[in-house]
Amino acid sequence: MAYQATRNRRIFVLFLLPVVAVLFLTTIYPMLYAGWLSFRNYDLAKPFIPRIFVGWANYAEILSSGTFLHALVTTLKLMAMTLSIQLVLGVGIALLVTQRLPGMGVARTLLLIPMMISPVIVGLVWLFLYFPELGYLNYFLSLVGLSGVGWITTTTWALWAIAIADIWQWTPFIMMGTAAALHSLSPEPYEAAMIDGNSRWDVFWRVTLPQLKPVLISLMFLRAIDAFKIYDIIFVLTKGGPGDSTEVLSMFIYRESFTFWRMGMGAAASFVSLAIITVLVTFFFKSLNRDRSALE
Amino acid sequence: MGRMRTLAYAVALCMATAGAAMAEKPFEGVELKMLGIGDTSVTRLAPIVGEFEALTGAKVQIDMFPYPGLVDKIIIEASSDSPSYQLLWVDSPWVGMLGEAGALVDLTDLARRDAADIKLDDIIPIQLQENTWQGQLLAFPASGMTWLNQYRADLFENPGEQAAFKAKYGYDLAAPTTWDQYRDIAEFFTRKKGENAGGKPLENDLYGASQSYSRVQGAITHDYFPFMRSFGGDYWDPQTGLCAMTGEPHIKAAEYMKSLIPFNPPDYLGLMWDIQSGYMERGEAAQAAYWSVRSVRLTNPAEARLAEIGKAGFAANPTDGGKPEPTYTGALSFAINAKVSDKEKEAAWAFIKWSTSEDLMRRFATEGNGVSQFRKAILADPDLQQKYPYYKVLLDSQANAKRRIFHPFYQDVEETFGVELNKFMAGETATAAEALTTACNAVNSRLKMFPVETRLRWINDVPAKVLAD
Repeated sequence: MAYQATRNRRIFVLFLLPVVAVLFLTTIYPMLYAGWLSFRNYDLAKPFIPRIFVGWANYAEILSSGTFLHALVTTLKLMAMTLSIQLVLGVGIALLVTQRLPGMGVARTLLLIPMMISPVIVGLVWLFLYFPELGYLNYFLSLVGLSGVGWITTTTWALWAIAIADIWQWTPFIMMGTAAALHSLSPEPYEAAMIDGNSRWDVFWRVTLPQLKPVLISLMFLRAIDAFKIYDIIFVLTKGGPGDSTEVLSMFIYRESFTFWRMGMGAAASFVSLAIITVLVTFFFKSLNRDRSALE
Repeated sequence: MGRMRTLAYAVALCMATAGAAMAEKPFEGVELKMLGIGDTSVTRLAPIVGEFEALTGAKVQIDMFPYPGLVDKIIIEASSDSPSYQLLWVDSPWVGMLGEAGALVDLTDLARRDAADIKLDDIIPIQLQENTWQGQLLAFPASGMTWLNQYRADLFENPGEQAAFKAKYGYDLAAPTTWDQYRDIAEFFTRKKGENAGGKPLENDLYGASQSYSRVQGAITHDYFPFMRSFGGDYWDPQTGLCAMTGEPHIKAAEYMKSLIPFNPPDYLGLMWDIQSGYMERGEAAQAAYWSVRSVRLTNPAEARLAEIGKAGFAANPTDGGKPEPTYTGALSFAINAKVSDKEKEAAWAFIKWSTSEDLMRRFATEGNGVSQFRKAILADPDLQQKYPYYKVLLDSQANAKRRIFHPFYQDVEETFGVELNKFMAGETATAAEALTTACNAVNSRLKMFPVETRLRWINDVPAKVLAD
């Protein structure tokens, strides 16, 4: 019996090994290496600069850098813009597509398409739409007599242009999660609310939304992590410009690592970014747990 | 016996033929890959590399990429211990960066050895100097550029436009010699769709000028630096080797660029080189101070609508107040990765010699694809000057020329100034002085870690050893 248990444990470990090896090679080792790099003065393009240990100097430089602070603020601004609109639109569309109306099944499937496209392709699609001289959006505006907008070439519009592309791609994610949650809601509270003579708005506000809250927090939490790391769409559309109006944290890290080739600085900035995400995640989890406790 | 003799003769003949073929094709079996740009210096060449293989046996594959991001690929390639590319396309400002990193083969001895073969004397000296680092020739010009003035000659020569211009500004409409004139002309020709230009109603808006203001790959610096030099500025402090682009000429140049914004397309902050030159090619800009790398397209109806609807004119660029300032040059060149084997190095050098030879350059020019030139014989050819009016400007203006920036921290300079100048043009930074000071301080914060001797060595333009004899 004991022999069998030991044998099973060995087989269990044996089967786990490939996964652990892959995880180590693709996640743990690069992370440890990045950690090591973040304490070094490592410039890939300038091998004549000694690649020495510099302690916390890279972290200190990042945290005192106005460019980093600006990138952090821009990231948070973009997160606020995209998440709030995605939440409202996602819940609204979910309420619509869960109605028993003809064509809703097809609509639901079509709405999911943007989510399945690679962000680089999404960026390219929107580049064709936004392109100053030849873009479709300005063409359509000209058809109704409006002058074109410098979607990605003016500091006024560029961040909104990024936000619109992100909203288009990820609103279906909120919609899908919310629709699934709506299907699983218990009908009793609704029946009670109807008997009490509540309006549809009251039912939504006082019955549906409180029940959806834990799901919405989870969805927003996942989206927040993604939005914090947004890179591909910005790289394709604006590369952080014009000026520094769309320079988010990921672009800051990219520039430090692959334009200035300061790999140590790039690695340190990545860890600072990771720390901020960790704080966000902790905050969301605590908030989620508080809601669960309240519901129980 | 007779059969045996015949067989022996046949074997001997086969071996002799094979030997001769081997001798004729010295690089049989060698494979070369080039990391190149998708622009005229390479696109003309790529379709005919099979001819080089037929001559030498070496197979060449050219991978073409857009300019933005190309230097990143080259740096990664140069830092790799097992590189994939033997041949590298190099823009001349990268030479210091790649040179100090030891990434490129020194071509000095090869060029001296084959001086007659490559007609070294025929190459404009500044074009060779553009490719040197500490006197070593690290790349060989495949296309020689200057920053010149391209304009709508059909509009400039129109009597109605000339009369209206003179009435408004008090002097004759002609290719400008001062930046004030350039701005007057830009203002004069900025017109809306439907208005007249050259006596005909415009199908699209016409912009007075088209300059690069984009921050992507520091595009704005590729216009700002020549502007700055034409205002009499320079990059570095000759005493300290630190960034010195905060003086009066530097500020005036940035402010001047900003003053041209009302006459540029509305998406000026996104104007990269291809978009910028596109306005000239479509005939939607009256003039552009721009690199000659794409000038050939303006006279080719297959590549530019302007060749059908109007006529391109070329002139040396203006300066501040018309004071004589050296022409701002550049070279787009081919280099050899320092980590290749000796056999590959010889084959790569043979390819460079073939692809930059006078014969091939003349052939491109005759066929209508004349790349911006670095060979005097071609630029001075009267027939080719007739065909490519910008050739004469290239030849004449390089009599007094000064090379571009060539510092090991070039990419830092390009990116930092690109962002700060773009912010100034966008109105995010209040003054040119503030933008330039921020950029200079950022560059200097990195340079200050090096001793002054090193910094001074980096800004010292040592004459090319290949030109010493």
